[in-house]
Amino acid sequence: MFKTFHVALREFIATVGTKGFIIGVILPPVLMGVVLTIMPLLLREAAPKVEGHVAIIDRSGQATESFQKYMAPDAVRGEMRDQLGRDGGPLVDSKQAEQGMKMAENMVLGSAQVSVRVLPPDADDAAERAQILTGEGKPESPDQRLALVVIPKESVTPAEGENPAELQILHQPKLAVQWVGIIQNAARRAVVDARLAANGLDAAKIRGLMAAPRTDTKSVTEKGDVKTSEALKMLLPGAFMFLLWIAVFTSGQYLLTSTIEEKSSRVMEVILSAVSPMQVLVGKILGQAAVGLLLLGFYAGAGLIGLSAFNRMSLIDPLNLLYLGIYFIIAFGSIACLFAAIGSAVSDVREAQSLLGPLMIVLVIPMMLWFPIIQNPNSVFAQVCSFIPPISPFIMVLRISGTEPVPFWQIPATIALGMVMVVVFAWAAAKIFRIGILMYGKPPNFITLVKWIRMA
Amino acid sequence: MGNAIEIRGVTKTFGPKTAVRNLDLDIPEGCVCGFIGPNGAGKTTTIRMIMAIIFPDRGDLTVLGRPSAVESKDRIGYLPEERGVYRKMKVGSFLNYMGKLKGMDSGPLDKTVREWLARVGLADTYRKKCEELSKGMQQKVQFIAAVIHKPDLIILDEPFSGLDPVNRKLLRELIDEQRGEGRTLIFSTHAMFEAEQLCDRLFMIHKGNKVLDNTLEDVWARYDPSLLDVEPAMPLAHVDVTPLRSIPGVMNVVVGARSIELKLQSVDRAQAAMTQVAQTIAVRRLELRRPSLEDIFIQLVGGNEAALRGEKEEGGD
Repeated sequence: MFKTFHVALREFIATVGTKGFIIGVILPPVLMGVVLTIMPLLLREAAPKVEGHVAIIDRSGQATESFQKYMAPDAVRGEMRDQLGRDGGPLVDSKQAEQGMKMAENMVLGSAQVSVRVLPPDADDAAERAQILTGEGKPESPDQRLALVVIPKESVTPAEGENPAELQILHQPKLAVQWVGIIQNAARRAVVDARLAANGLDAAKIRGLMAAPRTDTKSVTEKGDVKTSEALKMLLPGAFMFLLWIAVFTSGQYLLTSTIEEKSSRVMEVILSAVSPMQVLVGKILGQAAVGLLLLGFYAGAGLIGLSAFNRMSLIDPLNLLYLGIYFIIAFGSIACLFAAIGSAVSDVREAQSLLGPLMIVLVIPMMLWFPIIQNPNSVFAQVCSFIPPISPFIMVLRISGTEPVPFWQIPATIALGMVMVVVFAWAAAKIFRIGILMYGKPPNFITLVKWIRMA
Repeated sequence: MGNAIEIRGVTKTFGPKTAVRNLDLDIPEGCVCGFIGPNGAGKTTTIRMIMAIIFPDRGDLTVLGRPSAVESKDRIGYLPEERGVYRKMKVGSFLNYMGKLKGMDSGPLDKTVREWLARVGLADTYRKKCEELSKGMQQKVQFIAAVIHKPDLIILDEPFSGLDPVNRKLLRELIDEQRGEGRTLIFSTHAMFEAEQLCDRLFMIHKGNKVLDNTLEDVWARYDPSLLDVEPAMPLAHVDVTPLRSIPGVMNVVVGARSIELKLQSVDRAQAAMTQVAQTIAVRRLELRRPSLEDIFIQLVGGNEAALRGEKEEGGD
């Protein structure tokens, strides 16, 4: 027992203590967290200074007033809020939305001082255009011409049977793309307003009537009404399964390579002089299970922190986390047995590939079934997949974290099936391991492995 | 004294090949036993069965009084033929790990590890990674791993391969020391010189069959060639060998490149024959040849060698 523990401990330390593990596994999410924390600060700092004027030549003479109105700082801010509210609305709640909007406003508007300079309707395009160029590279001042908007008469009142003329917007190359957008928007709206006015309609009133109402969508739960977010609902089961997959496969791969290394560096027989093959197998699997649990805990923890930052903890049922742990043990237990058996049978990673191929194909299936199963977690297809041994834990995690409740009996049933699967796989793996670990030379194929299982 | 190892009727096959056939073997406690035999003879298979790493198809094994080495692994030290180290692990950690796997208390273990490293001249490698060590140094580390827990039975599979003469000598001394402490030692080797120097008993296996199992003295007596080696004082060409043929007890005379070989009827006739040879010709050297293990080895596997060369099989003893 103690020997198994020592084998497990060595396996865990040898895996987790490497630079490769820290760089490849732990660092990316940490870096991502750091970037997400620091980015807003950097952005706040780096809001570019925009100062100058936008010139307008309104040949129709009817759009200038509206354009000025839409370019006023308050109007720009209001429009931005409207857009953000439309696009990112369901994903973030009010607190976060407010913060995000403030940030976005800061980024774009920041210390901007943009005024509108109205040029005579008959001003010369070419001469005014030249002024954009003369301002380039000079220090910011109100005299800098950031952009020139030319509104042809035909854009407001097109000739009979013709399409309205295009608006022309010329701007400095360095002008931030958001500002180009703001100017485009203001000009377009101004022209539409002018057209409405020309037809005797009240633009402000019509805009008010046309504005699509906002929605407040909530799902009803026992704990109260919770904001619904369709996107997250679809993503979450996938995230759960992916998490399981990553944890199982990363640690499974470590198990495979460490077994191959012990065999090819001929340290295995030295170890076997002190412990039995079964103790080595169990110790190694336990050690890598700890690595997998560390990964699972680490990524799941990072995910939970992320969700709580966006006040979306309600999406996660704590019971699901428990199931995730149980199904991890089942998935890892069975796959680790297979990986250890393959690792013990071959002499290098290249030889392992040919044996891993069919296994990987089976195990990629849950990834491919992700979408049909979350769309309909209780379809016959999903239920059948839940009882197919190697993919069962992945499919169950997908279904359990989905929207529809899974028939309760299926949870203990699949867990029991999983346990049986682990025992069977461990039995077969132990037999292959005992023979394969001291067998050098020609790499075995599947038929040989089956022979070994029968032989030992 | 009882037997450290008892093997009764053990057979092990790998597919169509019989690696060990119906083997009986007793190894008394406290002796040093050499396993010799050509490559692929079944030495390592026998050792692995003793270690319960593989299991016999038929027959029984008793190791240190138990039916399987699994039950007494902590009392056995084993240096396998296929040996390696964890390349990325530090030497000190590796030996500590091995000690723990052998059931040693972690308290005094580290001190023992450092003492052992100092003894084999590797004190400064404690913090080095195993991959930084030369092959010979790694072998010494592996030897320490095999004996650090003071086992009653030490099994060394080819311990001398890959060692330079200085380290061979060191290893001989270490093995001698283990013998001095009353431990039972088994080592397989192709190094006949080391076997002659160290063994009390010899066990030889050839094509899975036991061909020799005796004390070194008995082996020598049994395979005594009864040969007198005569190196004349004058050049060989000037020596008349006819009088030598008529010496009583001499069966045959062969003139070699440097010396003349006199085959005697028995070793009992050696003393009289030697006196007569000295009286017949002037000799620089006169020696009653001792059978070398190498000769015995070649004699025992010779039939096979001859068959390989396509010659008529003469058959060994």
